[in-house]
Amino acid sequence: MFETEIHDLSDDADYAAASQQGPSSKAGHGISNQSYSSEPENAEIVYLKDNVTIHPTQYATERISGRLKLVKQDSLLFMSWIPYKGQSSNARLSERDKNLYTIRAVPFADIRSIRRHTPTIGWQYVIVVLSSGLAYPPLYFYNGGVREFITTVKQHIVIVRSSEDANVFLVNNFQDPLQRTLSSLELPRTISIAKSASSSSFTNSPSDGNLERLDGGPRQKGSDAARDISIQVLEKFSLVTRFARETTSQLFRESLVDDYRANENKKSNRSSQDKPREIVSNDVRVTRSEVPVPSDPLEFDKLSLVWGKPRQPPLGPEEWATFLDSEGRIEDFTALKKRIFYGGVEHNLRKEIWAFLLGYYAHDSTYAERQHVMAVMKSEYETIKNQWQSISPEQAKRFTKFRERKGLIERDVVRTDRSLPFYEGDENPNVHLLRNILLTYSFYNFDLGYCQGMSDLLSPILFIMEDEPESFWCFVSLMERLGPNFNRDQNGMHSQLFALSKLVELLDSPLHNYFKQKDCLNYFFCFRWILIQFKREFEYDKTLRLWEVLWTHHPSEHLHLYVCIAILKRQRAKIMQEQMSFDTLLKFINELSGCIDLDAVLRDAEALCVCAGENGAASIPPGTPPSLPVEDECIYQQDDEAL
Amino acid sequence: MSYAYLFKYIIIGDTGVGKSCLLLQFTDKRFQPVHDLTIGVEFGARMITIDNKPIKLQIWDTAGQESFRSITRSYYRGAAGALLVYDITRRETFNHLASWLEDARQHANANMTIMLIGNKCDLAHRRAVSTEEGEQFAKEHGLIFMEASAKTAQNVEEAFINTAGTIYKKIQDGVFDVSNESYGIKVGYGGIPGPSGGRDGSSSQAGGCCS
Repeated sequence: MFETEIHDLSDDADYAAASQQGPSSKAGHGISNQSYSSEPENAEIVYLKDNVTIHPTQYATERISGRLKLVKQDSLLFMSWIPYKGQSSNARLSERDKNLYTIRAVPFADIRSIRRHTPTIGWQYVIVVLSSGLAYPPLYFYNGGVREFITTVKQHIVIVRSSEDANVFLVNNFQDPLQRTLSSLELPRTISIAKSASSSSFTNSPSDGNLERLDGGPRQKGSDAARDISIQVLEKFSLVTRFARETTSQLFRESLVDDYRANENKKSNRSSQDKPREIVSNDVRVTRSEVPVPSDPLEFDKLSLVWGKPRQPPLGPEEWATFLDSEGRIEDFTALKKRIFYGGVEHNLRKEIWAFLLGYYAHDSTYAERQHVMAVMKSEYETIKNQWQSISPEQAKRFTKFRERKGLIERDVVRTDRSLPFYEGDENPNVHLLRNILLTYSFYNFDLGYCQGMSDLLSPILFIMEDEPESFWCFVSLMERLGPNFNRDQNGMHSQLFALSKLVELLDSPLHNYFKQKDCLNYFFCFRWILIQFKREFEYDKTLRLWEVLWTHHPSEHLHLYVCIAILKRQRAKIMQEQMSFDTLLKFINELSGCIDLDAVLRDAEALCVCAGENGAASIPPGTPPSLPVEDECIYQQDDEAL
Repeated sequence: MSYAYLFKYIIIGDTGVGKSCLLLQFTDKRFQPVHDLTIGVEFGARMITIDNKPIKLQIWDTAGQESFRSITRSYYRGAAGALLVYDITRRETFNHLASWLEDARQHANANMTIMLIGNKCDLAHRRAVSTEEGEQFAKEHGLIFMEASAKTAQNVEEAFINTAGTIYKKIQDGVFDVSNESYGIKVGYGGIPGPSGGRDGSSSQAGGCCS
């Protein structure tokens, strides 16, 4: 519900103070309004503020400063923010970036809310949320002036303070009779938008489409997109400030990554242009049919254009070499992981790099140290393997658990990726290696043993490593994190499914409410996704890519949960439209296998993760896989019947 | 495709007894020895005809490993029929039947029709469970029983269709309230005469058990 009251805003001390001063005295630090002749004749600049800045990345050192104006024309109010020409804090910010973020005369009819933030320490900023739910990045007022900005807006149009949050001002609040009248005047849409890819989606946010939604039936709290989005953007900001403190030194290395980004700009522009249109047209279709689908509070497909970064080509050998010092140490593992997050790794580098990502090799080890580790670990593998190999048939007769495990593993390895050339055919030696490694693992970690799904996790590792002991140890490293997925009591799975439900509640409360209503909050329909890290949902090579991205743990150890949400959000309209129940939902989700666009979903997942920010992290209980376990002891405590 | 009724089936039993192969043989009429093990659940569907009425079987093929029992239990809800499968060449799969049955009785509708299937009967030379034992178990627990082979297709059609026949008879006898989908039966557009004929039928997609 838009539970708003029309406050007399003068009860707010800030507000009252600002009102007394009036806007004209504020206009641009003594610069007269009349000196700006670039506006059309009948347009009047009612507010002007220089050094209003956005931070397009997580780093406050990257900024684009510009001039914020409120312009009145034919009794309509417009807001614009134009970056300064040829003056950028950082050479890496291209003209394209500037175009991307430029706000050219947005009519207030298209604005849903403004959230102000006036911390006692640090820059004041506002977040402007459009009727579509899309938010512009925070506009930082380096010279102050947020109060005056709000005051000026108030003098020209009706805004009401949200009763839920005193810092949110609702602009087009159609519950307010006065505003409804104003909106019915069919305000001319003179919006002229940057021609860049991203902002083209802005034009797809007509307020009439939005009106339909606002006027249609009872409103859910979750559809107060303005509020939701601004909260999440604020969360993002809390990340920004944290990152800003610690990352000046990283900027140098990032420029390397940016070269690739620049090369890929054309490609990614194209794709980012196509996808939202597709989605928008879907939405339109959905809106017009009988079952009303609550809107996505994040409008995340558009949001990811602002926050999610384009994918890059995979890391190649030349670039990989630049990460290593002369003795083979990875100099900046964080930068490497970030690079891999955005593009993955070329196939023939995987054998080398996966060992680092999985933690089998220490990133600061030298070539020589790794040679040594390899030899030691090979011998250790043989020792453990020998434990089961030395069990005689007579001993096995009296060792039921061993026989059962062996039988289970042998039945499963012949049912694992056998259509892949690497594993196909009778008597395939690689199938035999799968068996050996899993049996050895069930002795290495006897408490956990073997559980179905493990062969799915091992198969790609063996395929890449092509070496029995190395595959074993990489698998061991992976199971350090994913082992709890296979606990007999399923606690690892349940904690992830629980975290997933919390995150959906945070990021898409209408969808959460829908699942609740349908008794689907156990999220069992995502079980397979999580158990084996989407292995059955993508082609094999796509799985390899996804896994190396997930293993970077950037920007979150739990990115896989955001991947779940990204996929669900792409299907949310269909799910709610067709009123899917537990059964139909499970079947529907199963059938998405092979139909998921990995790059798009990763981009969305990143955007969702960044938007969820610290609230997202707080939704995930400590120790939830793939986090390392909180305690080391007895993590795989099993009851007696465990295999 | 239109149907008079849709029945939800669930296939349960230990891992490796051939649940997925039975399903594939029934839906695709082929045996595929090399296939991926089932994680979670897989779905299959086929139209059959009983009493000249088109009936759609929607079949849930579940993962067999003990660890996944807690999730498998959630699949019983709204199943009209169950195929409880064991492997005649592996004694332990027969020994576990009681625990499977207990799960089914606890989590499924009391009127769910259960067919006990001793699979892999083509491997008679490796038989570890006699036909009589299977018959005896079925008799004790009120199940229909059949030995079958997903490999040779022997009795596969019969297993699925006989189960459907039993369910259909229960409907005729008024055991089920077919308008209550928790029985795992949906009435479709396929032309059921009588009082339910003109009802707002469920299309194959809409509706669900828990609404």
